[in-house]
Amino acid sequence: MRLQIPLAIILIMGLFTIVTSFVPAKPIADLNQTFRNWYIGIITFFIFLGTFNLVRVNGERIKTKARDWQYSIILIAALGVMLFAGFFKGRASLDEGSPFMYLYFNVQFPLEATMYSLLAFFVTSASFRAFRARNTQALVLLLAAVLIMLGRVPVGTSIWKGFPDVTEWIMSYPNAAAKRGIRLGIDLGLISMALRMILGIERSYMQ
Amino acid sequence: MLMTTGPWVWVAGLLTLAIYSFLYKDNPVYKMAEYIFVGLSAGYWAAFLWWNYAYPNLFEPLAQGNYWNIIPIAMGLMMFTQLSRRTSWMVRFPLTFVLGVSLGLQIVAAVEGDMVPQLAGTFSPFTRGAMFNTYDFWTSVGYIVLLVGVLTTITYFFFSKEHKGILGVSSKIGIYFLMVAFGASFGYTIMARISLLFGRLHFLLSDWMHVLK
Amino acid sequence: MDFIEKIGRLDRRIIFLTVALAVILPLFFPLGLPIEVTPPVQQLYDVIEGLSEGSVVMMSIDYDPSGAPELQPATLSILRHCFRRDLKVLMLGLWAPGVPLGVQALDEVGVGEFNREYGVDFVNFGYKPGGAVTLVNLGRDIHDVCRQDIYGTSVEELPMMDDVKAANDIGLVLSMSMGVPGSDQWIWYYHARYQGNLATAQTAIGAPRYYQYLQTGQLVGLVGGMKGSAEYERLVDHMGLATTGMDSQSVAHLLIIGFVILGNIVYWAEKRRKA
Repeated sequence: MRLQIPLAIILIMGLFTIVTSFVPAKPIADLNQTFRNWYIGIITFFIFLGTFNLVRVNGERIKTKARDWQYSIILIAALGVMLFAGFFKGRASLDEGSPFMYLYFNVQFPLEATMYSLLAFFVTSASFRAFRARNTQALVLLLAAVLIMLGRVPVGTSIWKGFPDVTEWIMSYPNAAAKRGIRLGIDLGLISMALRMILGIERSYMQ
Repeated sequence: MLMTTGPWVWVAGLLTLAIYSFLYKDNPVYKMAEYIFVGLSAGYWAAFLWWNYAYPNLFEPLAQGNYWNIIPIAMGLMMFTQLSRRTSWMVRFPLTFVLGVSLGLQIVAAVEGDMVPQLAGTFSPFTRGAMFNTYDFWTSVGYIVLLVGVLTTITYFFFSKEHKGILGVSSKIGIYFLMVAFGASFGYTIMARISLLFGRLHFLLSDWMHVLK
Repeated sequence: MDFIEKIGRLDRRIIFLTVALAVILPLFFPLGLPIEVTPPVQQLYDVIEGLSEGSVVMMSIDYDPSGAPELQPATLSILRHCFRRDLKVLMLGLWAPGVPLGVQALDEVGVGEFNREYGVDFVNFGYKPGGAVTLVNLGRDIHDVCRQDIYGTSVEELPMMDDVKAANDIGLVLSMSMGVPGSDQWIWYYHARYQGNLATAQTAIGAPRYYQYLQTGQLVGLVGGMKGSAEYERLVDHMGLATTGMDSQSVAHLLIIGFVILGNIVYWAEKRRKA
């Protein structure tokens, strides 16, 4: 029962969704819409569960004084402050100029944007150390990269007027061709995997 | 005045520097900033999810008499049964429901939204004559390159047969197409990272330090 | 230790410093190089030019602060174009951390520059969870997905939404996107079912993947990265941060190409010595 019913649910919902996907008749289309709304509802709880788990795991770390447990206090405090800011005035908590928005624009925003900008440094360092023309294939990759880097900035145009056109052509044809080939391969993989799950052949996700 | 006096800008400026301190080496200030970020983000998502979706679409309609909403709410709450080993099997009900709907849609979308139009786009320049109507040499060459590129790239990923003979030649050509595409992606990645760095440095120099106009 | 060896062992912190300088120096000494508009950006501009007055543009903010330097300038420029053409804007987003950025952009352009009225000329429904599945519902029944706007006003009380009920009431969909859920979902789940005009603005990381959809007509425009944003700024003749950033971008690219060449010289010199 603990296995059969879930397997029946995924089979019925999967097949129903596929078969009725092209049925515009109102009762069936409405039913599909309702199922999809339930899906969104359930997904919402996934995120709430994630927040709950974050507190649980970090609480545990503080309790057991695990390595670097002091940082877990900071994390829970930050979460608590943001939750308070997000709910203390009801929906208006998220209005422009609210403490919640100040925290977003002046703490969350700079932290996230800066964290990703660190990669600019590492990607440069990697270009110097690892981007080597070891063989013809690597040379092709390197040349394409250099061409595109020149063709996509104004200074490239100043060096040679043709760079933007060449870049555009590479992006539109050889680049698009390879990306399309990769994508078609992924699609086939996704479809076969989805079918295996719907038909109950693949069930490792239930463990 | 050289530096800003706005306290919030100072907070943002110092946090930016806290993250950049990682470039010298990993340190407690960077770690602290990292944990603050994770905590804040989690709180942020919860608040937005509640006020932009859960409240107006799930709970308010329920309070107004739409009792059907009990089903997704109950199934959503079932997600929490995984916290105990004894009840964790109940997670399978919402999980299989969610997977059934999304996988079903995914199959349809992969065929209807990706495979059919993408394959059609590869061949249509030849069948519909666009190839011969463009009057532009490089566009016509492009269509041929596109067709050859798609076919050879696919053969490179075709692992059911040994890459020998025609298949071998084709997959070898495919590798070169892949290299051009990876090169393009690399170039664009550099562009993206530099843009982010520009964004932060511009903030530090203008909003915080006021040395830029 | 000879010169080649010394360069090969260059401290990475020196590399970091040069990158920072490459970005900072052009801010003080701008080069002011001209920005050329590429076809995919021009294409989007032309589509918006072709929309009739009062058409609705649905703009989805599918990015967060780390995508802001590249995408926020595009959001601002496209909004400028829309309001200048007297189009209506319906905003929502598949990424919660992007919502305040959307609000900020509408405030700056819609209210600040064009004096447009909320609820009549533009609306904002904020974050919509559920990704792809939500988009399938959205195209069929916008009022069902967007029950209330970000201020808690019911969709029935927003005059602009009276005639905007489903996908065929939308003139153009724009996904300002940096990942999943984003443009992929808009193409596969929304456009495949409901057709219509769909365009995207992408961070540079994502942009190369979307040329294939331009060729098939699934996308009617593509604004890629900060360069694309700078091009749109030029098209609407309102220079902003993306345009400012182009000089830094130029110098940094030259520097990185220099590093690639230097790295290869070291590699070949060492290889030759070993042989």
